[in-house]
Amino acid sequence: MPVAIQPLHPLFAGEMSGVDITRPLARDEVSAIEAGMDRHAVLVFRNQQLTDEQQLAFTLNFGELEHTRGTGISKPGELRLDPAFADVSNLDKDNKLLARDNRRRLYSLGNRLWHSDSSFKAIPATYSLLSGRIVVDKGGETEFADMRAAYDALDAATKAEIEDLVCEHSLIYSREQLGFDDLSAEERATMRPVRQRLVRTHPVTGRKSLYLASHIGAIIGWPMPEARAFIRDLLEHATQPQFVYAHKWRQWDLVMWDNRQVMHRVRRYDETKVRDMRRTTVGGTELTVAQDALAAE
Amino acid sequence: MNISQVHPVFVGESSDLDISKPLTRDQVAAIEAGMDRYAVLVFRDQPLTDEQQLEFSRNFGELEVTLAGQMAKPEDRRLGDRLELGDISNLTARNELRARDDRSRMYALANRLWHSDASFRAVGAGYTLLHGRIVPSKGANTEFADMRAAYDALDDATKAEVEDLVTEHSIVYSREQIGFNDYAEGNADRLRPVQHRLVITHPVTGRKSLYLSSHIGGIVGWPMPEARAFIRDLIEHATQPEFVYSHKWRVNDMVMWDNRTVMHRARRFNDLNEVRDLRRTSIKGTGLIVEQAPAQAAE
Repeated sequence: MPVAIQPLHPLFAGEMSGVDITRPLARDEVSAIEAGMDRHAVLVFRNQQLTDEQQLAFTLNFGELEHTRGTGISKPGELRLDPAFADVSNLDKDNKLLARDNRRRLYSLGNRLWHSDSSFKAIPATYSLLSGRIVVDKGGETEFADMRAAYDALDAATKAEIEDLVCEHSLIYSREQLGFDDLSAEERATMRPVRQRLVRTHPVTGRKSLYLASHIGAIIGWPMPEARAFIRDLLEHATQPQFVYAHKWRQWDLVMWDNRQVMHRVRRYDETKVRDMRRTTVGGTELTVAQDALAAE
Repeated sequence: MNISQVHPVFVGESSDLDISKPLTRDQVAAIEAGMDRYAVLVFRDQPLTDEQQLEFSRNFGELEVTLAGQMAKPEDRRLGDRLELGDISNLTARNELRARDDRSRMYALANRLWHSDASFRAVGAGYTLLHGRIVPSKGANTEFADMRAAYDALDDATKAEVEDLVTEHSIVYSREQIGFNDYAEGNADRLRPVQHRLVITHPVTGRKSLYLSSHIGGIVGWPMPEARAFIRDLIEHATQPEFVYSHKWRVNDMVMWDNRTVMHRARRFNDLNEVRDLRRTSIKGTGLIVEQAPAQAAE
């Protein structure tokens, strides 16, 4: 069966068929996926019964793994999965549901805000790959918003205004919006803000996109409240329904997206049901803007 | 009194009433009936003095004192010591444009978040009346969202879930979302959270509405982050375009709204270079209060 991509949305996101990603890929298959990502920004692969090892092997086709250090708040002894994975489940290391007031659960609720993975790292991620091992039948959708289309739809005055703006991103900022500030001094030091350009240009396609995330807490040179009010307006603009694809999960879906071109968020679900999603992330290779001397990493 | 509806679900515009003159009891009743139905009323071409605005407002109940006025030093109040008159402008006490990092400007930026006036008080506002004296050439619309229609559009499971929830509101919660926490000493009582039902029933029409506001920072009995994520989802639901009217200001517009049935927010404008001068009066609300814990009522 030949490799094909069926569009899932008028602007972006496609379902790729004709490739078994549990097996080693041929070079032209990798190229086809990369070309699909450049164009669609989100690709869905259905019925891919991946083991952790297979997911890792598939991910390594697209670059180096991004380490998860500085991403979560779990200590090494508390991890359910290999540290190469971001554990996007509601389970603890004994595979039990997290209690309502569990610290990791409350921290993870930040994923319900629109964001771009690891924009809080000086060199942020390119692709994220999320495998649905156990999915919930109601809620829990992952929504994606096309930041290229959102950029294109700005008026000329706004494009000019934002062209050279530099934002500060930190996990502290996204968490404090939900009133989560239960972070140790050590965690806060790890989460020190980094700088990112607000307008990015994709290295392959040359298309511009808005590099937005709820991790943004400031714009360099702006008073903080003015920066945040403006970023909220941009987030609202960029997540209008015409820019959004909502992915309803089936078991063994693998969804990969390009964090340079889309934002995403998870929707609410009944957390008395198990949801086991495992994410691998491809590390980026370049800064979007020079960091100040104190930048993390 | 003629009122024409200007949005599919709410908002009426009155074309034939002069509100600068004393109103008859029938006229007041007609406006109140219009408010019950439309939730927002627009009166165009109404030149008003401050006194006339205060007098018109008093037709609808007891006037509220503005929190920003209470917290400002007397010498920083552009409109003097009449604390019932809210200064919704970008001007200093000397009628100069506020500087970019001006503290009052920072505080007021939170008006760009969806809110219900004075929901941070034990008794929130009923009507707010906003009069346009000087309006900028571009931007600065006030947007309104119909919280009755938003409630009606919830699915049954969500209606059941929200029915008895009690939320905590404080001016601190809305300001901290945009990174502002610079309050003068002596305001602790005014910053303390108060509780309100999330679903309220209008005392006259009996219609239910979502009493939402960016002043909400918690839900009683819920972990705070879970409460905030849920409230954000509800605010997003409630402010979808089909529930929203965007008011483009003209000089001498009077817009009044019922904070028990709508949320509102201001949009951005070029405030470092253009003057916007609006004056606000608010009426104390009725029918909103939930049982307050002792010493919890901000006033």
